[in-house]
Amino acid sequence: MQKTEDIKTIDKKTLSHSFHLWFWGALTCFSQEHMQTFGYMSSMLPIIKKLYPKHDDQVKAIHAYTAFFNTNPMLGTVIVGITASMEEARANGKQIDGETINDMRAGLMGPIAGIGDSLIDGTLIPILLGISLGMSTGGSPVGAIFYIVAWVLIAYFGQRFLYFRGYKFGDKAVSFLVGAQGAAVRHAVGVVGSMVVGGVLATWVNVTTSFKLRGSDGKVFLNLQDKLNSIYPGLLTVAITLFCWWLMSKKHVSAIWTMIILVGVSLVGVLLGVFNPGLSY
Amino acid sequence: MAISWFQAAILGLFACLCSNSCMAGQAVGNYTIGRPLVGGLVCGLILGDLKLGIACGVAMQLVYIALVTPGGTVSADVRAISYIGIPLAMVAITSKGLAPTGSSAADLAKSVGTLVGTIGTVLFYAVATLNLVWQSFGWKDVQNGKLGKLYSVNFGWPWISHAIFSFLPTMFLTYYGSTAVTALRNALPMDGVAMKTLFTVGGMLPCVGIAILLRQIVSKPIDFIPFFVGFTLAASLHLNLVSVTVISLLFAVIFYEVEMAKGSSNTPTAGAVSAGNDDDEEEDI
Repeated sequence: MQKTEDIKTIDKKTLSHSFHLWFWGALTCFSQEHMQTFGYMSSMLPIIKKLYPKHDDQVKAIHAYTAFFNTNPMLGTVIVGITASMEEARANGKQIDGETINDMRAGLMGPIAGIGDSLIDGTLIPILLGISLGMSTGGSPVGAIFYIVAWVLIAYFGQRFLYFRGYKFGDKAVSFLVGAQGAAVRHAVGVVGSMVVGGVLATWVNVTTSFKLRGSDGKVFLNLQDKLNSIYPGLLTVAITLFCWWLMSKKHVSAIWTMIILVGVSLVGVLLGVFNPGLSY
Repeated sequence: MAISWFQAAILGLFACLCSNSCMAGQAVGNYTIGRPLVGGLVCGLILGDLKLGIACGVAMQLVYIALVTPGGTVSADVRAISYIGIPLAMVAITSKGLAPTGSSAADLAKSVGTLVGTIGTVLFYAVATLNLVWQSFGWKDVQNGKLGKLYSVNFGWPWISHAIFSFLPTMFLTYYGSTAVTALRNALPMDGVAMKTLFTVGGMLPCVGIAILLRQIVSKPIDFIPFFVGFTLAASLHLNLVSVTVISLLFAVIFYEVEMAKGSSNTPTAGAVSAGNDDDEEEDI
């Protein structure tokens, strides 16, 4: 048995338990009001129980984590790791109180949400999906299975790595995440993301027009789609995409209304004969 | 194709696992089971038509390639897209006699999926609201010092929210919806304006998904350039996506080196301004 004045450390098993609670439970009890607060509290629970043998101390410690919390759950794992290390320091009587921990959490959740949403949801997953979609052409399950295996491995071991890195470096990890090298990495990854997204659009989406002008003899003298292809292949697809982007980012139209506007555009186009999917039974 | 109660119930269970604030965790639930590509695989296995399931999943995945949920707001619900939309689209495609992997089947799938997914956001907010009840139990437990009970607040009680707002709606909508979809077959002829519009919209919907991604990526006009390079590589040079990714890695390395060189040779504030100008000049050439 250790004496109370000995240095308390969190063993690997407890850290691993805490990580798994976050991995599986970051958002299980989600509400608009508290979002990830309960996920965070349950993942800190094993650590608090380990560090504070007395029940009263445990109850006191958990109060640091009752504040509102919401971030990107994948990249946010690093924050849980950082607080585990700060909690350890607090238990050992360092100059850290609940407020310090909370300030760090509150300060990091915004930037981590922004970086995580654009790097993981906005770049990594679309790249993986884009590649997987290609493998599933023609109804083959290979692409779907590839995505499951690749993503789950990346997510599990990536988040595990982030958690233990966060624990190891503590609040020093913050400077890398928001520092110059972190920014350069983000910029570089963003370039990959943009190019692949362009490739996904060209590969998978094909908006075409059926508009043709016929002379008096019934011959087609203007086939609009052929003309557009000779200017820039996929011009109409890009134009519709930029139109949607313009609506959403410049006119602040929501995604749902953008879709409804597309319904209107299609209806008018069908009536004018610009669009015709050319189907029959 | 008809969906039995048993099949509908399994679809309902998957809806609980994957819907946002999902019971199988964010990475495995929402980001794996919930993706339409994976949903297509699962629905294909459950309904016994793997090829059609995957084809529908692929089509819908394009629309939702960038399902980012900033700050916990959702514009579409994965449980509804993947486990209500895909089964219903499969029924619709079968009853219309379309080729499973054809582009018209894909366009129909996109329209059905998007409609269901958009309406399904109601389910997301319903679950999140009911969870407030379990959270109020949790606050009491924290006050009374019953810390061990927090686990059941986080992992146990939310199952009830999902039983009501994920399991039951999915089960009923897929069971009864399939009959309704079959009945609609003759009501809407394929060469009528309604179906033509539905298919045209289906072809355009992925543009919205890509545009949502662009909104994240593009902060100034120059950010469009890598996007257009990627588009041109695929549209004009017909490279596949792995090849596009490989080429983009080269640019990523260059950008990284440039950015790091900027940081080391200049003071941060002055450097950012002058380096920005250098970038513009290089692009002009």
